[in-house]
Amino acid sequence: MRNRALLAVGVLAVASLALTAALQAAPGKQHAKKVTLQLKWVTQAQFAGYYAAKEKGYYKKAGLDVNIKVGGPDITPEQVVLAGQADFGLDWLPNLFATREKGGKLVSIAQVFARSGMTEITWKDSGIDSIKKMRGKKVGVWCCGNQPELFAALTKNGINPAKASQVTIVNQPFDMNLFLQKKIDAAAAMTYNELAQVLETKNPDTGKLYQLSDLNVFKMDSAAVGTGMLEDNVFVTENWLNKPGNKTTAVQFLKASFQGWIYCRQHFQECVNIVLKNGPTLGTGHQTWQMNEINKLVWPNSTGIGVVPKKAIANTANIAKTYGVIKKVPQNATTYQYADKALDQLKNAGVDVYGKDWKPANVKVTEGGK
Amino acid sequence: MSVVAEPTPRGTVLRSVGTRVVDWIPAIIVFVGAIVIWQLAIEIFNIRRFLLPKPGAIVSAFWDQRSVLWHAGWLTLKEALGGFVLGSAAGILVATVLARFRGLGDALMPIAIAANAIPIIAFAPIFNAWFDPLSLAPRIATAAVLCFFPVMVNTLRGLTSVKPSQVELMRAYAAGEFQIFRRVRVPTALPYLFSALKVATVLAMIGAIVSDYFGTFGSLGILIKNSVSLFDFETAWAAILVASILGVAMYVAVALVERTVLQWDPTRQERGSG
Repeated sequence: MRNRALLAVGVLAVASLALTAALQAAPGKQHAKKVTLQLKWVTQAQFAGYYAAKEKGYYKKAGLDVNIKVGGPDITPEQVVLAGQADFGLDWLPNLFATREKGGKLVSIAQVFARSGMTEITWKDSGIDSIKKMRGKKVGVWCCGNQPELFAALTKNGINPAKASQVTIVNQPFDMNLFLQKKIDAAAAMTYNELAQVLETKNPDTGKLYQLSDLNVFKMDSAAVGTGMLEDNVFVTENWLNKPGNKTTAVQFLKASFQGWIYCRQHFQECVNIVLKNGPTLGTGHQTWQMNEINKLVWPNSTGIGVVPKKAIANTANIAKTYGVIKKVPQNATTYQYADKALDQLKNAGVDVYGKDWKPANVKVTEGGK
Repeated sequence: MSVVAEPTPRGTVLRSVGTRVVDWIPAIIVFVGAIVIWQLAIEIFNIRRFLLPKPGAIVSAFWDQRSVLWHAGWLTLKEALGGFVLGSAAGILVATVLARFRGLGDALMPIAIAANAIPIIAFAPIFNAWFDPLSLAPRIATAAVLCFFPVMVNTLRGLTSVKPSQVELMRAYAAGEFQIFRRVRVPTALPYLFSALKVATVLAMIGAIVSDYFGTFGSLGILIKNSVSLFDFETAWAAILVASILGVAMYVAVALVERTVLQWDPTRQERGSG
């Protein structure tokens, strides 16, 4: 008797679960499709385009309800997406290559940042005016997937970052204090973040803010350094992409995100405000600087936002391979067919997806980024 | 974390090596069995390799990256050893003082036991701010503080667990405090001390690796973190393997010293072959 009752309860439970699942799956068209985007870092202008797409209703118009998940130092977007806790992820391209090589079937569907924002900086009065001169110095860089561009630059200049006798690599915290206190000779700095942090600090000797002229800034993307790799890209898993309807979702998501980025190109200040509204931790001055620098990484793009020439991808893959991030150049790690479709739709609607005439603003830093 | 480690019963040194190998057979079977099940489970259930790599892949990563791994292992071992020596020495010293001044000891013992229950590892980022983060100091300090309390508490317990009759006998022979200390208290405390030191080797390694996570490039902790974020889980596991080997090596080293020291200890005979 008791067993039969249990069985009945079990059957009922399964049936009701199936019913709920069916009901949830049923609505479809009139309801926005829920998707999640995992950011690489905390809310800041680096992700302005996505926040703008949400605030300005581009995602909604595209039939999407996008949940933007903030990242942080111990969040690896690749892992979050592979674990199915987010549909879309943002991270640097070499990290995606490394993940793919290790069997994580991710595919990059848009390369939003067309150039690298990574720099290594030194004080001008230190005399370290080339990467070569970093031999034997204390060189700071962030660990855990953010170091390949610098390591490539050091290796290219005959310095083995794994050998303590050649260079002391310091695991740099996410502030610039070690550099400001001159405890390290060189520090990693994104043009849009840490570089501003230094310029927002008062020089105790002069009582004025530090100037760009106080620093040597080695841009990884520059011809002199030449180890810049492609950074923020949008990726999904192959599994996700092959589920019914998701290819369309990918096109819709990219289209709306691109619209967000185009909005930020045209309405620079509004985008800063949108970011501040979503994440008020960092100051207005800092976010304004960042928005301008981020726009420089996205615009102009002669192939249209989200797409970069095959040559650029091959270049990143080659640098990553040469300097040991990956063993083989990955196959099919990027596909821009969905980005291309999104671009076609935007172009047909008369939207400028290239930003050829865009000029960066002249942003003055403020003390403490306030 | 255990507050007090009881002295473990020890086998006689003269016990035949053959018996010992026989003793180990079940453990070896379990170990090999676990590895085989691990490898098979991944193949049968098709576990994605970033969740759990095959033992074979870990071993080959261990071999391919041996130079990087041992460099990192050496750095972390220096931190662990430094912390172990400093923390244990301080623990023994404080325990000796407290054993001499019992009133003080009685007053401080509950506090020491309470402090022992604090997850000291939570202090790791703070030590990074206190000491030069570019040096090994913050990581040695974390390991040292982790080792200090168990060594102190156990040594004190050992020094004070002398039978009153033994002390009375010594007094009857007109022995001074120092002689009682040297001939009765220290030999009684040694088994306690060595049990604590063995616990401390493990704690020192934990302290070093966890504080590595905030630490220098080239250490085991950063190697693990870095490999995980680049999806190189084989290397991460290989680094964990190195950490385990070093941890076991430190433990065995202390156990060997214990064997040698207590062999000469005249009271060992009385305690029997345990």
